[in-house]
Amino acid sequence: MTLTENLFENLRMELRRGCLTLAVLAQLKQEHYGYTLRKALAGRGMEIDESTLYPLLRRLEAQGLLTSEWREEEKRNKRFYRLSSDGVEIFTRLLGEWNAINTAIGNLL
Amino acid sequence: MELLDRYLEAIKKHLPWKRQDDIVAELRVNLEAQLDDKETELGRELSDAEKEAWLKQIGSPIQVAARYQPQQYLIGPLLFPTYSYILRLVLSWVTVIYLIASVATIAAQGSGVEAFAGLSLVYVALRLPWIWLINAAITTFIFAAVERVGARYPSKVYPLQPVTAPWSPLDLEPVGTGDGDWAKPWSFAKALAEVIFGYVFFAWLLLVPHYPYLMFGPGAWYLASLPYKLAQAWWPFYWWVVVVNGFELAWKTVDFARRGAWQKRKVWRTWAMHTLSLIPLGILLAAPGQALFLPKTAAAHDAALAQANKGLHTALIIALAVVVLQLLWNAGKMGVEAYRKRVAA
Repeated sequence: MTLTENLFENLRMELRRGCLTLAVLAQLKQEHYGYTLRKALAGRGMEIDESTLYPLLRRLEAQGLLTSEWREEEKRNKRFYRLSSDGVEIFTRLLGEWNAINTAIGNLL
Repeated sequence: MELLDRYLEAIKKHLPWKRQDDIVAELRVNLEAQLDDKETELGRELSDAEKEAWLKQIGSPIQVAARYQPQQYLIGPLLFPTYSYILRLVLSWVTVIYLIASVATIAAQGSGVEAFAGLSLVYVALRLPWIWLINAAITTFIFAAVERVGARYPSKVYPLQPVTAPWSPLDLEPVGTGDGDWAKPWSFAKALAEVIFGYVFFAWLLLVPHYPYLMFGPGAWYLASLPYKLAQAWWPFYWWVVVVNGFELAWKTVDFARRGAWQKRKVWRTWAMHTLSLIPLGILLAAPGQALFLPKTAAAHDAALAQANKGLHTALIIALAVVVLQLLWNAGKMGVEAYRKRVAA
């Protein structure tokens, strides 16, 4: 990887990092377990690696933004996640921030 | 499934032990569902080679497990500026305290000039990096512990604010007056005053041996009545002071006479004078028997005089150490500044 490609990759990762949280919170207005969440996000153009998404769900839950429960579905025990009440509030505020940044960037470009 | 089982087992070994079963169970169901999807899409079971490629694409067990670790760094970005500030303070103070303590210890042990300038000094210098290392390690350990407690109990620990020295924009140094800024223009009045006062001081210096009251005032007559006299070492000391001052004065005069040269502060002149000032100090330290004051008559041993000579000798050693440290400090600062300018260019 050249220096420019490396720099671009680092900046791209930085740019994506915050967006991923927002995307996950947005998708978890409906209940999902890890794999279906990943598929749903990918279906809307937001591909996330397994090794990024699953630990992110744990972190968001530890921060109180998500709730989870183990439940059987299709003869398999799965851990389902959804937004908590704090998560809804934080998501609404983050969305406002996202829209403001989006507008500002749109004005700049 | 055997390959997936082995993969999950390998991940488990690197997970936080309290949550490893829960995480592995969740990972298993997600990966199995993904595998099912892949096999449904293909209409057959994945071969071992395909499974291997798939798991390799997810990542090595250590990498996957690492993402579940609550903390990936020793000191986080919020605490780091405070850590960096405190570390610099600790290392600076430790250096000062260590050097003062070392010099005082050497002086108290009654070591002569040779011992001070030789093995003792080398020993002190060699130990300094270890002192830095130990203190840096202790500081880092404390901050890492604070960071860890903060990350583990976020609701119980008051969020740490970055610590910096109290400051106000009004207290900041005016532009161009910093120690390292030798390019600051020198005003004509300052340059003229420097030369005039330089000559006045030089004249005073030359007259002092003939008229001691110019230095001591009325105390000169009292000193003359004491049963002590200056040792021979004071004369070479005095003449070296004269030479150094004369040299500096000549340099200043030439600079002043050269068109525009007085506008620039002379870093090399300051350096040269600082270095030359070590010679008179060295002459006094090398005085025979460390005696700078002698009895006027060859009387019996004077305990008070011996004590005074010893005290003066110790003070000179400390002065020499301070001057050398100051030189090294300035050399370091100049080196850093030169490097910074070269990199910026």
